[in-house]
Amino acid sequence: MAPRLPVITGVGLVAAPGYSVSEVWHAITMNENGLKPLSLFSSPRYGHIPVGQIQIDLVKLGAPSRGSRTDRLGWLAAREALLCSQINLTGFGDRAGVLLGSSVGGSFDSERFLTQLIKKGKMRPRPTRFHECASAVDLIADDFGLFGPSMAVATACSSGALAISTAAELIQAGEADVMLAGGADSLSRMTWGGFHSLLLVDPGGCRPFDAGRAGMSLGEGAAVLVLEAEETARRRGAKILARLVGWGASCDAHHSTAPHPEGAGALAAMRAALRRAGLEPGAIDYVNAHGTGTRDNDLVEAKALKQLFGLRIPPFSSTKRFFGHALAASGAMEAVLCVEALRRQEIPPNPGFSAPDPAIGLQPVTELQRARLTHVMSNSFGFGGNNAVLIFSTPETTADTVSPKPGIAAITGLGVIGPGAITIRQIEPPLPAGKVLTHDCGPLAEAASLSANQRRRLSRMVQMAILAARRSQTSGRPGRMAVAIGTGFGCLDEGAAFLENLISKDEREPMPTRFPNSVHNAPAAQIAIDLGAHGLNCASTAGEISFETALWQAMSQLSNGEADCVLAGAVDELNNYPLGIGQRWRLWDEQTRPGEGAVVASLSRSEPASIPLARVTVVRLGRYRRPFDAQREVDWITAAVDLKTVNILLSGAKGWPALDPLYNSVAAALSARAGKAIEHQTYKQACGEFYSASAFGFAAAVDLARRSGRGVLLYTLSSRGGKALCCVQP
Amino acid sequence: MQVSSNELKTRIIASLKLQDITPDQIEDDAPLFGTGLGLDSIDALELVVMLEKDYGIQIKDIEEGRPAFASVRTLAAFIEAKRSS
Repeated sequence: MAPRLPVITGVGLVAAPGYSVSEVWHAITMNENGLKPLSLFSSPRYGHIPVGQIQIDLVKLGAPSRGSRTDRLGWLAAREALLCSQINLTGFGDRAGVLLGSSVGGSFDSERFLTQLIKKGKMRPRPTRFHECASAVDLIADDFGLFGPSMAVATACSSGALAISTAAELIQAGEADVMLAGGADSLSRMTWGGFHSLLLVDPGGCRPFDAGRAGMSLGEGAAVLVLEAEETARRRGAKILARLVGWGASCDAHHSTAPHPEGAGALAAMRAALRRAGLEPGAIDYVNAHGTGTRDNDLVEAKALKQLFGLRIPPFSSTKRFFGHALAASGAMEAVLCVEALRRQEIPPNPGFSAPDPAIGLQPVTELQRARLTHVMSNSFGFGGNNAVLIFSTPETTADTVSPKPGIAAITGLGVIGPGAITIRQIEPPLPAGKVLTHDCGPLAEAASLSANQRRRLSRMVQMAILAARRSQTSGRPGRMAVAIGTGFGCLDEGAAFLENLISKDEREPMPTRFPNSVHNAPAAQIAIDLGAHGLNCASTAGEISFETALWQAMSQLSNGEADCVLAGAVDELNNYPLGIGQRWRLWDEQTRPGEGAVVASLSRSEPASIPLARVTVVRLGRYRRPFDAQREVDWITAAVDLKTVNILLSGAKGWPALDPLYNSVAAALSARAGKAIEHQTYKQACGEFYSASAFGFAAAVDLARRSGRGVLLYTLSSRGGKALCCVQP
Repeated sequence: MQVSSNELKTRIIASLKLQDITPDQIEDDAPLFGTGLGLDSIDALELVVMLEKDYGIQIKDIEEGRPAFASVRTLAAFIEAKRSS
């Protein structure tokens, strides 16, 4: 099969200095940045500090009034990218998807609810519907009619870049022809207070690579690219703006916030991207640096650039002062700037730089410059030492991108931290008070095996993930290891504690330990530190199919030869939030109880020395249509799985009640299509209901496949519109 | 005013949630970071919060606090100097 090369046919961007790609580029040519004092919310201590806040009402720009601020930003960038690509999506159906990075999701809107809750004791559950990082993805998929794979990548500041590379892999693997990919993040009290608590904000605005730099500036915005398989774009006569030829990811596995002092992870990610593109370092004509303006980041990034390029360092710049650091959106914004740089043959400058730093010994481009650009590189580095690098090239180049070799993964180990006995959890006022029967993991028996620092510093949820990952390890060195962990809500307890403290004390006495623990990728990053996993480190989320999004990432890493072993899993914790919301929606009853837990599977591509527990043969992601059509679902399943090889359908039924009839109709249609009885089994009665419960379904599927010697289909529907399929064979 | 090193140690233990350690186990001159107690940059930020809460001293740039965080003795001296200035 000819390689399916991803090309870019559309770009969209909304940020403080401009609300479209051309407006932003105009601001860049005028050297105007968008930093102004904060007015979006009150900040008693830091309100005077400049920030890249978007000053216009987003609804006036045409964004839907429903959803969160982040959702609206993502929607606006998606609309511009689609208009730019002139694509008619109606013909694509299941072949078009959306994948965005987000670090705080709808936090800005749910914080208003939390402020009311703390200061007035009133509860309004509506804004929290859009709290999740996947909310923007769902809104865009529903509004623009995308039924292909959809998920959010939540790896802090590298999310946007990782979302784009994951979308490229979905296209290469043949799972989609078109992907909207990028990132969206709005300003929020959480990240505002968080970065201030880490003393990482420059009160005068960021000055990347400058000798006097004293931190970052925060910002907000969204950027979306239309990625297409080249053959699809050519067939419809689309104008190709650029190619995505290389991408690479790595993890420092060093510290939750500080980068590796020598930039080892940054260097590894840049090398991986070059390797995938089939390029030598000398081919790179421009680097859009991560360049946040913090003392550590810029110094370490410069070290990595010097190691990679030696004495011939290409022109580079950090464009962070134009927008502020828009966290998960930032990698996508900079990707759009790289595409524009190639199109215009111009290098954007590095505002804020005036005095060279002898410790860095490098000078960025300080004025807009015409240049001959063929290949450009974009760096994004995030909390947890999470690094992602993209390489874009002009459309005329012939790409030499490495193609994946799809295959089967062997499950060599499975670690489960699951519910013990059924317990009773109290919901605390001002949430609706009451008691609920839960599937609770209780005290973690193995927590004593964690180090003193892990016990005092890490949240219970992260500890659960580490213990599950340790249990998944069998003897023997696994080689290059990557980690992909799904989560529905992320580390809510840490985030909520940080925010409650921030709001109730008016930003005094912040909790700097809690902030880096609150990011969605804290479990994956801490697993990497614990086990020394330096490959891709990904956290993804998509409601009930959060686990399967991580499993897809893991399979893709193995197919692409980027790792010898991948830990794929999911974790969610039980706290007052899901308890309270579920009680409001009358979800918890005798049949459906809230649960929690962590599951991590160790997967490898090559046959291990000992007999594997089972094998994963298929993982697919998509969205179902409303009204639900069971025959269409069976078509989707049988396109990937031979029903002769499976005897059991394992579904997420007996959780969210509205999904039960859908599952039952698919089970019946599947048996009819197969011409034999396919047994319908469920798992939520054992582990309880929570977003990543399908990870327990996966563990159950492994067990069933082993005991029965027959194939098991794990089929999951999300209350948010997504669906996933996984086939486990003995 | 003299800062009690025992009181300071108690506050360090509480703010960093140090486990299985008592104030008398921390030497006045032992390094707090790297070796010694093995603290890191996030712990330094917790100490910044503790200094503001318990001693009313505000640190806006972590570089300013770095020499003070060398040991309990240097931290006590830093607090005394800040209070008398």
